[in-house]
Order: sequence, then C-alpha cells, then structure tokens
Amino acid sequence: MKLKITFKREFILGLIVLAFMLFLALTTQFATRNGLFSMMLDVSPTIIGAIALSLVIFTGNIDISAGTILGFVSYTAGELAILGAPIWLFAPAAFLVGVLLSGLNGYISVKFKVPSIVVTLAMNMVHLGFYATFLHNSGWLENLGDNFTWFGRGQVFGIIPFIFIVSIAVAALFIFIMKFSKFGKSVYAVGGNRLAAIYAGINPDITVIKVFLIEGLLLGVAGTLKAVTRSDVLPSSFQGREMTYIAAAIVGGVNIMGGSGKLLGAVFGALLVYLLSTAMIYMGFQDYFQYALQGIIILVAVFITITDFSAWRKKRAAVIAEPERN
Amino acid sequence: MEQPTSKRQRRGGFRITYQLALFVLLVFLVLLFGILQPVFFAPDVLFNVTTIIGEIGIMALAMTFIITTGGIDLSVGYNLQLCAIVFGSVYASNHNVPLAIILSVACGILCGFLNGMIISRTKIPPLVTTLATMSLFRGISMIIAGTNTYSGFPDSFKKISTTYIFDVIPIQFLYFIAFFAIFNLFYSRGRLGRNLKGIGFNENALIFSGINTKRNLLFIYTLSGLMCAIAALIYLGRLSAATTSMGNDLNLQVVTAVVLGGTSIMGGIGSVSGTFIGVLIIGVLRKGFTLINFSGNIFNFTLGVILIVALVVFAWLEERKKNSGKTSKYVA
Repeated sequence: MKLKITFKREFILGLIVLAFMLFLALTTQFATRNGLFSMMLDVSPTIIGAIALSLVIFTGNIDISAGTILGFVSYTAGELAILGAPIWLFAPAAFLVGVLLSGLNGYISVKFKVPSIVVTLAMNMVHLGFYATFLHNSGWLENLGDNFTWFGRGQVFGIIPFIFIVSIAVAALFIFIMKFSKFGKSVYAVGGNRLAAIYAGINPDITVIKVFLIEGLLLGVAGTLKAVTRSDVLPSSFQGREMTYIAAAIVGGVNIMGGSGKLLGAVFGALLVYLLSTAMIYMGFQDYFQYALQGIIILVAVFITITDFSAWRKKRAAVIAEPERN
Repeated sequence: MEQPTSKRQRRGGFRITYQLALFVLLVFLVLLFGILQPVFFAPDVLFNVTTIIGEIGIMALAMTFIITTGGIDLSVGYNLQLCAIVFGSVYASNHNVPLAIILSVACGILCGFLNGMIISRTKIPPLVTTLATMSLFRGISMIIAGTNTYSGFPDSFKKISTTYIFDVIPIQFLYFIAFFAIFNLFYSRGRLGRNLKGIGFNENALIFSGINTKRNLLFIYTLSGLMCAIAALIYLGRLSAATTSMGNDLNLQVVTAVVLGGTSIMGGIGSVSGTFIGVLIIGVLRKGFTLINFSGNIFNFTLGVILIVALVVFAWLEERKKNSGKTSKYVA
C-alpha cells in the first residue's frame, strides 16, 4: 500500500514535468535541437547536486556551503588542466577536494554536535573569503584548453551531451543504492528516528559522516561537469547554487525534516526547477525574478510535504464536533 | 560526595568565566590592534568602532531572542536590504522622508510578520523558512531596484546616524545602548524572556502549561523584522546610498555576534549582555582589520573561522556539563 502511494507521487511529478515540457514545446522554441541540448547541458549538474543535497537532507542535516564547495572543485579542475593534466587526472583530484571539504563539514557537525546548518553557513563564508584572499585573481581562470572542455562539449548522436549520460548513470546508481542497499536503509533510519536507528544497531554518527563524504564526492562530480562545459572558471559564481539544489530536492518530495523522500523525485525536481526558470526566461522576465520564485517554490513545496493534511481535517472535524474542547 | 559538589561549584563559576573570558578577549583585541597601529587608541577611532556596529548590534539583540528559542533568522541581511531599497525608491519617487520611513518600517515589520506566521503556524522549521524568505526578499528588492542606486537623501535624514555627542561618541552607540537596556530588561526580568528560554528547552512543556508559544514566536520574528528596518535606516544614514548589494554579508555577522556571546544555537541558554560583548568584538575586529590594511574578505574569512571555533568551544563546554550525570553517549 505504502509503495503504491510513493510510486504515485513520483509518477505525478513525472507527469507534471512532461506536461511542462509539452507546454514549452508548443509555445516556444524549446523543442528545437538547441533548446533540448542546452536543457540537458544545464540540468545535468543540477540533477547530481540535487541528489547530493537530498542524501544530506535524508539524514536530517543540510549543507549551505555546497555552492562554494563547487567553486573549490571547479577551481582545482581548472588549475590542474592549465598545468596540462588530462581529465582522468584532474577529475579525481577535484572529486577529492569535494570529499575533503564536505567531510570537514560532516566531521565538525557530528564530532562537536553542532547543527550542520550553522557549520556550513560559517564554512560558506570561510570559502568565499578564501577565494578572494588566497587565490590569484579570486581564482578566475580563463582560456582553458581542449584538454579541459572536450568532455563538456562532447555529444552522442549530435544531441545528447556526455555529461547528461554521466549524470543519468550517477542518478540511476544512487537510486539503486538508496532503494536496495543496507546503507540506504540506514540513511533513512537515522533521519527518521535517530533513537530507533541506534537501537537497530546503526551508528548514526558514522552514517552521517559517510553521507557527507558521499555528498562531497557527488558535489565533486557536479562541479567538474559544470566546469568542463565552459572554458573559464570563476569560483564565486557558484555561490548560491545550493539553493537551487535544495529547491530541486524539496520540490521532488524530499522531507526537509529528514527520513523520507525519493531520489527519483529529486531528479524530477531538478528538471522542474530548470523548466520553471527557463519558462520565465522565455516569457521575458529578468533573471532576478528567479530569486523570488525560488523562495516561494521552497516554501510552498515544504508546506505541502510537511503538513499532514489528513490530521488537519480530523482536527477540524473534532473541533466542530466538540467546540468546548478548544 | 565531595566530587560532585566541587564540580557543581566549578560549573557555577563557569558562567561568569565565559563572559569574563569574552571580555578579556575584547580587551586583548583592542590592545593588539592598538600596539599594531597606535592610532587605534585615539578616542575618535576607538569610538568609530561603535559607528560600524550600530546596525549589526540592533539586529543581533532581536536575533538573541530568536536563537534562544532554538530558531534562527537567516533573512535579516536581505530584510535590511529590502527595507533600504523601499526607503530609497519611495524617496526617489516623491521626496517625502517621513512617508519613506513609515513605508520602510512597515515593510520590515511585514517581512518579519511573514516569517513569524510561517514559523509559528506551520511545521516548517525556522531555518528553511528564513532561507526561503531570504531568497524571496532578495528577489523582491532586485525587482524593485533593478540596477538602480538610490542616493541623495537630505541632510536632515542623514543626521539620524551622523550626529556625535560631545563631538566624539557616535549616536549609533546611544541607540545600541538604549535598545540593549530594553532588550536586556525583557530578557532577564520579564515573562517574555522566561518563555523564550522555555521554548528553547522544551516547547511542549510550555504549551501544556498553558502558554501561547505561537504568539511569542510570532512576536519575536516580527520584532526582528522591525529591528531590521530600524537598522536599515541607521545604515542608510551612514552610507547615504541604497543598493542591492548592501546587507549581503550581515546574516553571518549577526549570527556570529550572538553565538560568540554565549547563546546556545540549540536554544534554551542565552544572554543579551554576552551578545553586547560579541557585537563589540566584531566591531573591533572590523575596524582593526581596516586599520592594518586587511581587506573585507579576510574579515569575512576570519569571522567564519571565529564562528566555527565559538560553536565548537561552546558545544564542548556544554557536553562536559551534561556528561556529569549521563550514562549513555547517545540516549538523550
């Protein structure tokens, strides 16, 4: 029964995404080769980022520094590429930077029992200050060579970018892991009911640190994929990306309190958030309308996922039946 | 029986020690910057510290209330920005200062009220609510202002934050002291402060003892919005231009000041006088960094590090306090 309901939610979300695409295809230039290609190019890092943030949110934590970690990741990739490193060398190095930075967040949060929101908020500032202070030109790199951009520009059948294939593969892998592995169950358990998880023999601290490490790896992948589509890198331009990822995860039905949600939903959420902002651009709104829209989307989506409407109705019925009780 | 008593005595002494340590840190920083750059000791430079903390301080007082309940308001920086933009745009359209002030304050209160309504009436956590409204306020202020910069405010308006008492004490310091006195009174003497600490410890217990916690929460978030508007006006009087880049990094400074002052981010424990010293420390750091020619980026970097260190130290002290009577590591 429960399986049926969760299936239904993702199914409906998928239908909404399809309907939205159809609407855009009929009313705008969306259904051309360029429209679809740029969609796949832009949405690939968002899909991976949304999965990364979803994993963290499943455990009841959050990461506000994801955007600035992406900056470090892309800077590392770009700097190594300038030194002549091929992709199989600079990509793992960039992943490692993501893992280390995110692992530090997780370690401080778990070890000292400080809420991850505050740790990552402070880290966000530390990272931004670091770019501006210690990196040459605030970490701005330009004129990156073909050894950097060939993967981002590569495509299959002249329409599907390599990076879209990578992101779909990563998404499929993590959907599989979260659904069938013991680790996936323990992540949900820690976020859902920490005490119950402890009694079930799960070490919540280790699980949370593992999730932060995996999040770092995924952010590494997302940052590298985003960076290789362009021939220049500006670390501070990634600031605020985490809001898009959080919005995508929440729109996809991930419960911000932790413990429930589906990665497939997060993937659809990423598509929907991208389509909404594209639609606004097609309709001629300035891009700063997106900040306002993003805030409203998050609030509405959280409200719908958190509020137990059936309990509401019951409560109202009870109040009507026995007005003197309250 | 000997040991617990001595432990309790040490714990009893700890509160004073933390505030004292904070004060010692403040004195140390003043001396450090004074030695590095002797001009720091000049009265007008030293009092200039209190000019730059005017807006942070006023917002931090309301933030102390919020963090005491276990909540957080991440939208303060952009709320301030929105209030400033509203003031600027209203003034630009009809050159009416009182109307601009009224609308700006109304905007701040409305933003705070929105936060308060969402947080107290739905189950959305304060963190997510204010993260989303942060994005919302930023978007609205950008929609109103576009790429405009509003400036050219009359001198009569600028006076609200460029007046000096005895030619040396900036008026911001007076505002800060006045608000501090009021907030401290409500926090440590009144029913409101007791309720806020109660919400931070155990909200359900308060609800069951018949206290309307929703109303308290709504009140403090609205209060925070009002304080943002007041801070925006004081900030505008000093900067004399409203742009969409002002207030961007104030969120972290305000939270840092409160956490540094010994208010637990988990709620339940806090002190307004600690926030007072925390704000002063931030002001001294910022002025000192400017004097020894460090950029604002290093200041932000240092602030982030300080916030993390303060959180870790405070969490460690709390943990030590708790461990005195606990058996299991996990079971709360």
